Amino acid sequence: MNLRELQVVFACLASRFGAAAVFPLLQQQLDRSVEFSTPVTSFRSLQEGVFLLQNDFPLYSGGVMHHAPLLVALMSTFNSNTLISLLFTCADSAIAYQLIAMAKCFQNLHLPAWVPGALYVINPLVLLSSVSRSTVVFSNLAISTALLSALQGKAVLSAASIAVAAYLSLYPLLLLVPILTLLPKDRFKTVAITFTTLAGLLLSSYKINDENWNYLFSTYGVIITFSKIIPNLGLWWYFFVELFEMFIPFFKAVFNLFIVSCIIPFSLRFHKQPFYAFILCLCWITLTKSYPTLGEGGFLLSFVPFFRPLFGYFRYSVISTLLFIHVSVLSPVFYHLWVDLGSGNSNFFYAISLVYALGLATVLVDLVWAMLRIEYDKGKPNLNLKLTPI
Amino acid sequence: MALIEKLQRRIIDLGLLPRIVRFLPKLSILCGILGICWLTLLLPLEGQYRHTYISENALMPSQAYSYFRETEWNILRGYRTQIQVLEEKSSKERNEVVASWFQEFGAKTAFYEDDLHGNTMYGVLHAPRGDGTEAMVLAAPWYNGDGEYNIGGAALATALSRFFSRWPVWSKNIIIVFSDDPEASLRSWVHAYHTSLDLTGGSIESAVVLDYPGSNDFFKYVEIYYAGLNGELPNLDLVNVAVHITEHEGMKVSLNGVSEEEMEKRNYFSKMKTMMVGVKKMALSGVQSCYGNEAFSGWRIQAIVLRARGTDGPFDITTFGRIPEATFRSVNNLLEKFHQSFFFYLLLAPRYFVSIASYLPAAVAFSVSFIVATLDCVLKSGASNTPAFSVHNLSAVIGFTVALLLSFALSILFSHWQYSSLLISCNAVIAVLPAIFGRQGIEASHSYQFKSVAFLYLSVVLTSLLVINFALAFGIGLLAFPLILVKAPMTSRQRVKNTILLILSNPFISTLLFVNTFEPQLSGLQLFHRLVQAWQKLGCWTWSVVCIGWLPSWLLVACSGIPMPYQPVGGPSQRLGSSTKKTQ
Repeated sequence: MNLRELQVVFACLASRFGAAAVFPLLQQQLDRSVEFSTPVTSFRSLQEGVFLLQNDFPLYSGGVMHHAPLLVALMSTFNSNTLISLLFTCADSAIAYQLIAMAKCFQNLHLPAWVPGALYVINPLVLLSSVSRSTVVFSNLAISTALLSALQGKAVLSAASIAVAAYLSLYPLLLLVPILTLLPKDRFKTVAITFTTLAGLLLSSYKINDENWNYLFSTYGVIITFSKIIPNLGLWWYFFVELFEMFIPFFKAVFNLFIVSCIIPFSLRFHKQPFYAFILCLCWITLTKSYPTLGEGGFLLSFVPFFRPLFGYFRYSVISTLLFIHVSVLSPVFYHLWVDLGSGNSNFFYAISLVYALGLATVLVDLVWAMLRIEYDKGKPNLNLKLTPI
Repeated sequence: MALIEKLQRRIIDLGLLPRIVRFLPKLSILCGILGICWLTLLLPLEGQYRHTYISENALMPSQAYSYFRETEWNILRGYRTQIQVLEEKSSKERNEVVASWFQEFGAKTAFYEDDLHGNTMYGVLHAPRGDGTEAMVLAAPWYNGDGEYNIGGAALATALSRFFSRWPVWSKNIIIVFSDDPEASLRSWVHAYHTSLDLTGGSIESAVVLDYPGSNDFFKYVEIYYAGLNGELPNLDLVNVAVHITEHEGMKVSLNGVSEEEMEKRNYFSKMKTMMVGVKKMALSGVQSCYGNEAFSGWRIQAIVLRARGTDGPFDITTFGRIPEATFRSVNNLLEKFHQSFFFYLLLAPRYFVSIASYLPAAVAFSVSFIVATLDCVLKSGASNTPAFSVHNLSAVIGFTVALLLSFALSILFSHWQYSSLLISCNAVIAVLPAIFGRQGIEASHSYQFKSVAFLYLSVVLTSLLVINFALAFGIGLLAFPLILVKAPMTSRQRVKNTILLILSNPFISTLLFVNTFEPQLSGLQLFHRLVQAWQKLGCWTWSVVCIGWLPSWLLVACSGIPMPYQPVGGPSQRLGSSTKKTQ
């Protein structure tokens, strides 16, 4: 790790910790915004869980807790505000460091290794998400650990991290499929370790939660069945607000199938570029999951620099940039119009979450197109050949 | 998808793409012109606007007989004589006297004392029917927006509340407010009502401000004001109800202070003028003199002002009183909130309106125009050819950050030390700088990058304002539009042109010119003082938006004509201006 990389990690630490220290009210403000906080990731409900745990109340009978029991138990060991802030900062900095380490795994990146980390540090979406103390940062950390150790060939660590990510927010379990393409030699071992770790985590949660399985529904059931209908930047909520009661179970199944549907095809089609397949799957999950936040979107965008050799093929980069800029400006505006002023309505905000989905979709489409093109050009970028160029 | 693919292939086959790229500068100008024409010329055309209608059937305006008639006249006159005598007294003493009258007919009263904005008295009539969780406000400031003693309004408010108190029909509480003025003191009361006051009557659904200066018995016509702060409008249903009732009683209605002669006409130009006056009122609300409805903005309260105009005419003051009476009867019928999606409109006449889908394209056009200009600048700057992290590409971003911080500092500093003439002259000097320093020629990529960041930012600001404050978005788009025409200074003629364009699009100079041309109320340099006051006293964002949203872009465009001290990185770069000529 050279000086520049140390600087990046230190900048990450300083910016997160500094922002939290200089603007102490920002955390609550962001935690209340629907873009950065959802019932399953919000710090406020985590604090409530810590309070319930410390006072020996049953955690999940009130219906307000949707965090995993071990996470609540972990947080309850930190009692000072500064320590908690430091924990979130360190988790975020670890991601920045891992991005740098990932960049070192690629020889032909045409970028200094510190650049992806630096971009992660200055990405405002990630910065704000980290300041809001959204627990997204932990599942992001687990995902990036899994990816890094898979790239380095450490099957055990990778499998365990995927299990932790799945334990924290369920859908990352699907990322096991592209991880298997990254680790072709130890497939069986990876699967076995993932499920053993997950079983271990679930069992210890069962023990912690007074030998009660009710946490399963409150954490994972809520994610799958979307039983807390709260507006967010995802595609789900508007549907279930508007739908007739009898169709709801069917459409919940459809939405869940939708998430699963593209994981195996991506992994199969791009099994020769497993890292790339992993990012596509991550993008797909970010796009279709039930409780997305901008923190996840920002995390996803941090992987785009790894496709530097493909940049020439991107067709919608200007459009997706504009889309992301407008989403981040307009979503609070439209939410304000709907909820505070009462002059707008839910359609306004849903329109913006559709635009956000469109932004992610253009990134996805661009990545797929670029990879198919470079396959067509047999690995050597030939930008002069125009197929359907823009 | 296949269709898009096909369309795309067709475009490529025809070689349209390079042509479109070459056409971009013209396209952006075209968009701007389209935006102006859309609002001013197209919308007042027959078929573009619609007849207003009452969306909420429960309102039923003027369906019940109005009982506030000549029988109440004597009581009204009595109160009026008393209030006339009270003019010399302080507002506190006046309020105490009025409170004693209110207690006589059984209303609860309370005082709200604000050190800065004086004493405010309010009374609550509790609803005989209903649970008392909702309220309607009748406000009568002691002095109206023009500084006249509001004798008729205050007397009418007292007589009406006495009249209302005898009636068992109310299902919403009625709150009557007497504040010192319709601006800061009324707003401070509304704020206190939602935060600290003890005597309250539930959430306020609607507010009617009465403005009847003078002790004349008769008046000519009624003016209705509705534009709230920060682009908020009351529900169109409430405005419609007021208009309907007023016209039902035989009076003429003028919107936003349109003059009497204009009101009589019903042609294309009068519609255009009424609409543009409404847009101007929306953009400058809080900055122009406020008549009272502005005070209620931001709390989900639908508020309008009723003003009686003229000292002689066919209508007596009880006729004027029947407007709030019938409006209250209508609002009283509501079981739910006012209909949503009826908050975005422009009125072309009391009975004609255009809704958001029709007028929004006007402001969208400006936003698009700046985006197209951004694209043009990005393509011309050749950003994709240089490395991503060179000084080149970052200088514009750093420049933008500096400009943003400067603008923010200015907005804070100026609100403490208001040297308007210094502000104007500084901006004029900055506008002239490019013409002086740009003689050596500008590096093309530098100029384009600065402009691309500037236009992108302005476009994002306009887009975010679109729905929140249409009038401000349109106004900024219109006045900042000359920025697009600023070109790299090839010749001395172009330099002079650039200077004029920069001066015309400067946030402070252009608004000053605009206001002095079209708004006699705000002549001279008053504008900046009023803008800052509106920000400090009423919480109107216009000042911040102009400073933080518009000024950075202008500064960047001005900087795009000034050469930067660093050397170009890599390869031979294109230079624009006099040096190009020398090499030729």
